[in-house]
Amino acid sequence: MLNEFIYNIAVWLDETRWSTMLHESYYMYNWVESTHVLTLMISLGMLFLIELRMLGLALTDVPASRIAQRLNLPMLVGFSLMIITGILLVYAVPVRSAQSVWLRIKMVLMAGLLINAILFHKKLKAAGTDWDDKPRAPRNLRIGAMLSFGGWAIVVMCGRFIAYDWFDCQYTDSEFIAFVAGCLDDQTRF
Amino acid sequence: MPASLLGPYTRTILVAAVLAATLAFALSGARVEVHTSLLPVFEWMETTWFGYIGKTWGAAFATVEAVHLLGLALLGGSVLVAEGRLLGVFLTDTDQGVITARCNRTFNIALATLVATGVFMACGVALKIYYLPVYWYKMLALGGGASFHYLVRQPLVERGPGEVNPWLLKLIAVASIMVWFTVAATGRWIGFSG
Amino acid sequence: MSEREQGEAREKSKLIDEQLAALIAGGSVAVFFIWYWSGQIQSVIELLRLAYG
Repeated sequence: MLNEFIYNIAVWLDETRWSTMLHESYYMYNWVESTHVLTLMISLGMLFLIELRMLGLALTDVPASRIAQRLNLPMLVGFSLMIITGILLVYAVPVRSAQSVWLRIKMVLMAGLLINAILFHKKLKAAGTDWDDKPRAPRNLRIGAMLSFGGWAIVVMCGRFIAYDWFDCQYTDSEFIAFVAGCLDDQTRF
Repeated sequence: MPASLLGPYTRTILVAAVLAATLAFALSGARVEVHTSLLPVFEWMETTWFGYIGKTWGAAFATVEAVHLLGLALLGGSVLVAEGRLLGVFLTDTDQGVITARCNRTFNIALATLVATGVFMACGVALKIYYLPVYWYKMLALGGGASFHYLVRQPLVERGPGEVNPWLLKLIAVASIMVWFTVAATGRWIGFSG
Repeated sequence: MSEREQGEAREKSKLIDEQLAALIAGGSVAVFFIWYWSGQIQSVIELLRLAYG
């Protein structure tokens, strides 16, 4: 039911003129993809520094709350660019993307990481500033930072794996993967 | 010290000499000769264990690519925060020396990760990249960027506050962002070429 | 010239040297960046012009 709904939307998107133009344009598609990858340097770059600070592995002599506050805006700008370009990449190749097991894992993980980020911010506010000058953040914040670090590492891996066709619907014999990927058609169309 | 034979402007003379040599190399026939002579090295790279794994085990290659991207993210964060501080954009209420020194540590780890994973990836696709001009531009930017960072930028940013001309620090920051952006963008373009 | 004054003069000339080297290197990086990327953008524009007129 849900898979059919997603699939129908993907087919409808694929039939739009702009989707075809985007995947047929060598430069535009590659520029969008390059922007998606390069904005990692802003979004995850800032996020990793915040997390490494919480874990006591980087910038330990700079107050932790200051790092978190000041790097938050550029990080969000980076994530916004990543989301926009990510949506465009899915729009360019909608049917294949909708049935990609890696994209699905990535989306679920990103939803989890969003919840983790909200909880992290709440706990950061609640923790006050007593520990601010200590090299490591309180335990609950460190756990949040570790979850975020590991989660984003897996998201990047899934993102990289989308480009590979190992588990594309037309190649996989595994019912489990076909179920997770929501295979209704092969992935040879865009 | 032999370098002091060049007088009080040793570093300046060396930088100018390296730039002149690079330019002469790029414009002369030596570039083609060196490129041709490097072919056996790239052929050999494909026969190493790294080359063998890279070519035959797609999942390993893709995982290393992902680690390469994680290294890129950390490098980007370290460069942007440090250069942002020099440009007066980020963390202006924190000592410039502290930020640049701490970011240099994460930069070192990121660069080491990038080089290690990059060597592995290069072995897997050695002959493809050998014929790609964008790969050589990336190597030029990487070599230039690393030399710039360690030999030119670091000695200046390690100096105390007020010692160095603030506009020069801003130029260094902009140049650093430019060079690492070029390394990353040309690196991404390798994947689209060939 | 006392030893302290000699040390200060040496340090001053070292600072000038480091700054001059940074100016040349930083300027060259900026020139390379502008040359390389304007070349890339120009080639794409020419290709698009060939394709679409």
